[in-house]
Amino acid sequence: MKIVVLLKQTFDTEEKVVVEGGKVKEDGAQFIINPYDEYAVEEAIRIKESGDAEVVLISYGPARAEEALRKALAMGADRAILIEDETPSADEAYVAELIARAVEKEAPDILLAGYFSVDNGAGQVALRVAERLGMNHVGAVLKLTLDGDRVRAERDAEGDIEVVETTLPVLLTAQQGLNDPRYPSLPGIMKAKKKPLDRLTPGELGVERKETTQVIEQYLPPKKEAGKIIGGTAEEAARELVRLLREEAKVV
Amino acid sequence: MLAIGFMLTDEQRTVIDAVEELLRKLKPRQEAYFKSIYDDQHYPDELWEHMSALGLFGALVPEAYGGSGLGLLAMTLAMERFAAHGLGNVLAVLTTMDAMAILRGGTEAQKRRFLPAIAEGKLRMAFAITEPDAGTNSFRMRTLARKDGSVYRLSGRKAWITGADRADYVLVVARTIPYEEVIAQGLRERYGMGLFLVDTKAEGLSMQAMETVGIEGFRQFFLYLDDVEVPEDHRIGDEHDGAEVMFDALNPERILFAAKGVGMTEYALARAAEYAKARRVFGDTPIAAYQGVQHPLARLKVLQEAARMLTYQAAEAFDRGRARSEVGLFANMAKYLASETAFEAIDRAIQTHGGNGFSKEYHLIRMMAPARLMKTAPINNEMVLNYIAERALGLPRSY
Repeated sequence: MKIVVLLKQTFDTEEKVVVEGGKVKEDGAQFIINPYDEYAVEEAIRIKESGDAEVVLISYGPARAEEALRKALAMGADRAILIEDETPSADEAYVAELIARAVEKEAPDILLAGYFSVDNGAGQVALRVAERLGMNHVGAVLKLTLDGDRVRAERDAEGDIEVVETTLPVLLTAQQGLNDPRYPSLPGIMKAKKKPLDRLTPGELGVERKETTQVIEQYLPPKKEAGKIIGGTAEEAARELVRLLREEAKVV
Repeated sequence: MLAIGFMLTDEQRTVIDAVEELLRKLKPRQEAYFKSIYDDQHYPDELWEHMSALGLFGALVPEAYGGSGLGLLAMTLAMERFAAHGLGNVLAVLTTMDAMAILRGGTEAQKRRFLPAIAEGKLRMAFAITEPDAGTNSFRMRTLARKDGSVYRLSGRKAWITGADRADYVLVVARTIPYEEVIAQGLRERYGMGLFLVDTKAEGLSMQAMETVGIEGFRQFFLYLDDVEVPEDHRIGDEHDGAEVMFDALNPERILFAAKGVGMTEYALARAAEYAKARRVFGDTPIAAYQGVQHPLARLKVLQEAARMLTYQAAEAFDRGRARSEVGLFANMAKYLASETAFEAIDRAIQTHGGNGFSKEYHLIRMMAPARLMKTAPINNEMVLNYIAERALGLPRSY
């Protein structure tokens, strides 16, 4: 069995995001494996540990993404492919086309990815890859059971659980709760340094940069105003609340 | 910033990154850990398990015995990082020290028996040398190990034994020949001492908690040995020359305490700087802008980096198998500067915090006793200076 995991290096979610000149400032920022992708990596390694599988990582991003790939290798993945681009595109259609070419060559039985990336948050790339390659797809998976080429996935359906059965080859995107990702051990990290990591350029994949969407500007959300506290008895407060909802917020 | 000028290997830098990665992951649990360590005097088992899973104890053990063989410096870096997050672990220090005693002084069979379990983090070990009437002058200890066929029988009383209740084994230092006899025979006072790995569940061994403060998450105990039977193959090193092995193991203990001091200093300075940048007292200027606040912190930063260099140097010397006295000199210098600096740093961080320095919420006041302890234990700083004066400057021994 071959498992390909799509992995993106993103901002550390603990970091303070600084926007300068309509762009997120990257200087001095910490980068991590996109947390949802980390669940995908963990799941792939667990499948490998319970049977026999090769786990291949594919990432699209600048050279620094190697750190994220090495970390996933240290967790237990076997090898990695980095599609290197110092000015990575945010156009999901183009990125999906690139990644699809790389995935196609690997011909995986299972394609695993995060539900979405915590930076751009579009949740499109993995689905587009599956679409291009004609693979089945189950999104936001919380529990996964494999039996031969039969796949049973429990997915997060807006708070409820939906059970989906399908067959390999399949794309599964990981939702928070799928597992508890391990952290790399020291022997794991040392082994990871010697694991193969291939670098490819978009050109080598034969894909020309073509973007149908562009990021025009990035800005921080407006600061939250302090809340209003309504005083008085319950009856007075309720009356005042209804008045505010009607006259100020204009929602009722 | 981590010791830019010090030539750490890739593997050693990896240790730092791996520990930082782990601690980053555990950050949401930090308050719960602090409560357990500083309020309940209970170092969380969970953290020990994380250290094991990370392979930190494996770092101490050569590959031939199931470890990764990274050495003491790797553990030194790791202990510093834990302490830098307020999570210094003294039982891990003691386990390291005992592991080094087995590694340097054990037989092949002992190494094969104990080291793999240590590498997996399955063995926790305490160390028992101090007695109510034999502290700094440990040669005068009264605990006696009497040979009885193929076993030893240990009797005596130990005190200030850290984490004995949480340990699987305690490495007990005992007299194999009473002190008076050794002196009467004109032998060196260090002769006639042995090291014994005693199962903490052994019959005849009992312990009583001491009401002490100062070890993060661990209590200290009186240990009563009443004719405790110890198999001969649990003796580490020569029957009468156990001191040789012991002195080898005391250096790693000092080095790891120094690392803990360096880490604590980092914690204190980071908290102080963070608080001072946010705290405004007069107008809109943060107190961090005042030189009266800055300079003491800057000065401590210098001392911290110096202590760090000494600590790494000592660990590196140990890993390279340099002469014990050479390692000892650096281990003692590191321990001295790191402990003095850590105490001052916690004190200064409290001062920077004003009244909040005494609020439990800011944790600093709770670290005061652990910081203070390092000036006294594992050896007091006056004895450390005696050692340095004698060994580095060739000055006469005063005691």
